[in-house]
Amino acid sequence: MSVTIKNVTKAYGDTRALDNVSVEIADGEFIAILGPSGCGKTTLLRTICGFVQPTSGTVEVDGKLFSSDKVQVPVEQRGLGMVFQSFALWPHMTVRQNIEFPLKSRRNRALHPQQRRQAVDAAMASTGLEKLQDRLPGELSGGQRQRVALARAIVEKPALLLMDEPLSALDAELKISMRKEIQDIHKLTGASIVYVTHDQSEALAMADRIIIMKEGRIEQVGTPEEIYYRPKTLFAATFVSKCNLVRGRWEGDCFWADAAGQNQPFARGPVEGCFREAGVCPVRPEEFTMTRIGMGLEGRVVNRQWGGREIHYKVECGGELFTVYAGLFDNYSEGDRVVLQRREAAREIAI
Amino acid sequence: MSRQRLKQNIGYLAGGAVALFFFLAPLCRLVLMSLTTDQGFGFENYGALLAESRTLRAIGNTVIIAVASTLIAVVLGSVMAFLVAYTDVAHKKWMEILTLAPFVIPSYIITLSWSTLLSARGSLNQFLDSVLGFKVNIYSLGGIILVLGICNAPVVYLNVLPFLRKIPRDLEWAARVCGRSLWQTVRCIDLTQAAPAVASGGMLAFLAAIDNFSVPAFLGIPAGIPVLSTYIYENVIGFGPSAFRSAAALSVLLSAIALGGTALQGLLVKRSSGMESIREDFSVRVPLGRGRRPVQWAALGFLALVNIFPLLTTITSSFFPAYGTKTLANFTLENYQFVFTNRGIRQAFLNSALLAAATCCICILAGTALAYRKVRRRCPASRLVEQSASLTYAIPGIVLALAMIFHWTMVPGVYGTIWILLIAYITRYLVLQIKSSTNALLALDVSLEEAAALFGSGRLRAWRQIILPLTLKPILSGTFLIFMQSLTELTLSSMLAAAGTKTIGLSIFSLQQGGDYQRAAAVSAVVIGAVALVYGLSALIPLVKKLKKRAPKSDPAQPDPHLAPAL
Repeated sequence: MSVTIKNVTKAYGDTRALDNVSVEIADGEFIAILGPSGCGKTTLLRTICGFVQPTSGTVEVDGKLFSSDKVQVPVEQRGLGMVFQSFALWPHMTVRQNIEFPLKSRRNRALHPQQRRQAVDAAMASTGLEKLQDRLPGELSGGQRQRVALARAIVEKPALLLMDEPLSALDAELKISMRKEIQDIHKLTGASIVYVTHDQSEALAMADRIIIMKEGRIEQVGTPEEIYYRPKTLFAATFVSKCNLVRGRWEGDCFWADAAGQNQPFARGPVEGCFREAGVCPVRPEEFTMTRIGMGLEGRVVNRQWGGREIHYKVECGGELFTVYAGLFDNYSEGDRVVLQRREAAREIAI
Repeated sequence: MSRQRLKQNIGYLAGGAVALFFFLAPLCRLVLMSLTTDQGFGFENYGALLAESRTLRAIGNTVIIAVASTLIAVVLGSVMAFLVAYTDVAHKKWMEILTLAPFVIPSYIITLSWSTLLSARGSLNQFLDSVLGFKVNIYSLGGIILVLGICNAPVVYLNVLPFLRKIPRDLEWAARVCGRSLWQTVRCIDLTQAAPAVASGGMLAFLAAIDNFSVPAFLGIPAGIPVLSTYIYENVIGFGPSAFRSAAALSVLLSAIALGGTALQGLLVKRSSGMESIREDFSVRVPLGRGRRPVQWAALGFLALVNIFPLLTTITSSFFPAYGTKTLANFTLENYQFVFTNRGIRQAFLNSALLAAATCCICILAGTALAYRKVRRRCPASRLVEQSASLTYAIPGIVLALAMIFHWTMVPGVYGTIWILLIAYITRYLVLQIKSSTNALLALDVSLEEAAALFGSGRLRAWRQIILPLTLKPILSGTFLIFMQSLTELTLSSMLAAAGTKTIGLSIFSLQQGGDYQRAAAVSAVVIGAVALVYGLSALIPLVKKLKKRAPKSDPAQPDPHLAPAL
């Protein structure tokens, strides 16, 4: 199911929760809406599913107008599946009753009881819930509740599946393992998925494309690789790939850092206009190389966190703090004087 | 045994002794009395009672009245709770005030006002007679049911409203996504989930109906309709000590019904405490669209008609003499002159005010101390006192009054003085304070106290600077309830008051029973005025605070208003 969102604006008084948002979601695509809290990502999701009516602009699904300032197809007639942040399982119904609920709605009245039973069984099988079907939600663990919420969302085989931060209520371990289950469900159902999250690693791990949002506007839309390696805005650079912004000036494709020696450029290469205008060069933490002597940003290690696979340093250069991820072999201590350079090769290889 | 342990054990023993002597002993005496026969002990009293047709009628009336009035209360209370919690009607504040009016105004005044409104010679009945050809007799089973239903609707409302608000909104959204319309969702998600809360509110209304003395006393005694509570009263007042045994047996019967109901209600509460969120959600869930205005004005109009109009009639009637037409020429302040100059009435006001104040002071200290020992020290003695105190609250007031007579006549210098009333009030209402203090203390994280101790503050300072500022408001909410209830109390004082220790409630009751409706109305009007004044002032407190807060624009010492409990 393809979704076309055109110039959607949602205003609450003077504040705009959504500001002229346009995006197309292709059939079968897994798209993540990523942004900090209050960026409008949940409002966008709720506009698609019909709880929020746009002030202007349109939402079309498979060419049919779902939402505009005049038209608003009721939520129950949109035929979507949705997973909520808090799971939203009905506490007075068993697991089976929860999953069966969508099939007993008016839009499924043609369904034969036999078909209904098979659909529920299939949804429970694909989420591994067969043994829990008579339990109440209150008797389940967080991960099991999440599975019930997923099963309920897919039991109707909707062509569009909406997920509102579905993993944020789970602990770290479970988050990682549930990612695979969501990916499996995507493969199994072939549905388009719109997935809202504030966790950039979730978005990078699962999505075909990512929409970065900030203050009601779309900052950038692209594949995880594009977003990660070629951020188009300062916000996308710092929010997704945790870039350090090194101050300096661009001359052509050469960047001269203020805090580095001026006999050779600090960095080279094509760069987005916004970085030129701001006079900064985005450098991801793993893009730095750290040496004791050499040309580059001279600084001092102020903090060191050993992480097993790599070491995270905070390096102070001319009053600014940079984050550097370095290998385990170059071991520096707090207080060490170091020189930071940008590793050109990494960028070239990656793209 | 260490000194600490010794101190602890002495504390337990003292707590146990208090619970036993003040709360449990009176009830034991009541049960014993009901089993006492001329030959020793046995069930003869019960047998004799149940053989009497008037007893059976009283039991039958009690059940009919309780069930029917509960139905009215459940429908009225739930509908109002739904409108206020979910829909987009305007003037919700007024709706709530109008709905809760019968909760803050004593039920005997409401009864009096209905009997004034529907008096046989009243203009409403004259009108009905001339147009429809019949009169409404409020002194009837139906009248008692109607007034009790109206009086108990707030109990249901208060139980259902927060529960409706606590149902998480995403449960509704999930149902909408699964193909249900708005009203289908309301029916199969919200109302289904709220059913236990409605049932438990209904159970509370049922218990209140069984417990209620003033409504059947005002309306049933003149009409010869006995219910258990008035039947006990009539027996004791009419026949004195010779009726004690049968009255005790009746009381045990009535208590059995009440305690059974309380147990059932407890079960319902346990069932309903499912997965609802802790926060109340005040957003509009059910927009009524074009129906909003009609629904809103219909509800407000109905509430005003049922809860305010009778009161206004009463207040108006207090300005006129008993006989003659209500024209400006007949306007008189004579009834008020009586209220303010009669020594008995003045004494009654003074008694009630003193009793209420003393009850509050003792309850707030004892109740909070017990709650603290229970919550923080897990003291079993405190728990025993609480359970005993909830027993003396769960049994009907008239039963407690009887038990008080049996117990405290054994102690010289109590019965017949004001002390018996004070003791009875504390016995009755202490549990309310323990409950509200417990909730207040449970909401206060123990780590806040531990932090205070860790940073070197003593017990006294921790209480003064940490515990009290953060819990005072919820603690006082219980005290306020006790104050209002004991100020306007009737059931206990009807049995326990002597010549010089009459209370306000009892004065109105005596005037009404003596047929002196206009003077009863005048006293009621003064009570309504006082209640309105107290609530008005308590409503002003947050307003004043807000104004004070606004005056200094940005005071860095001001705590975050979201973190500090709004006082």
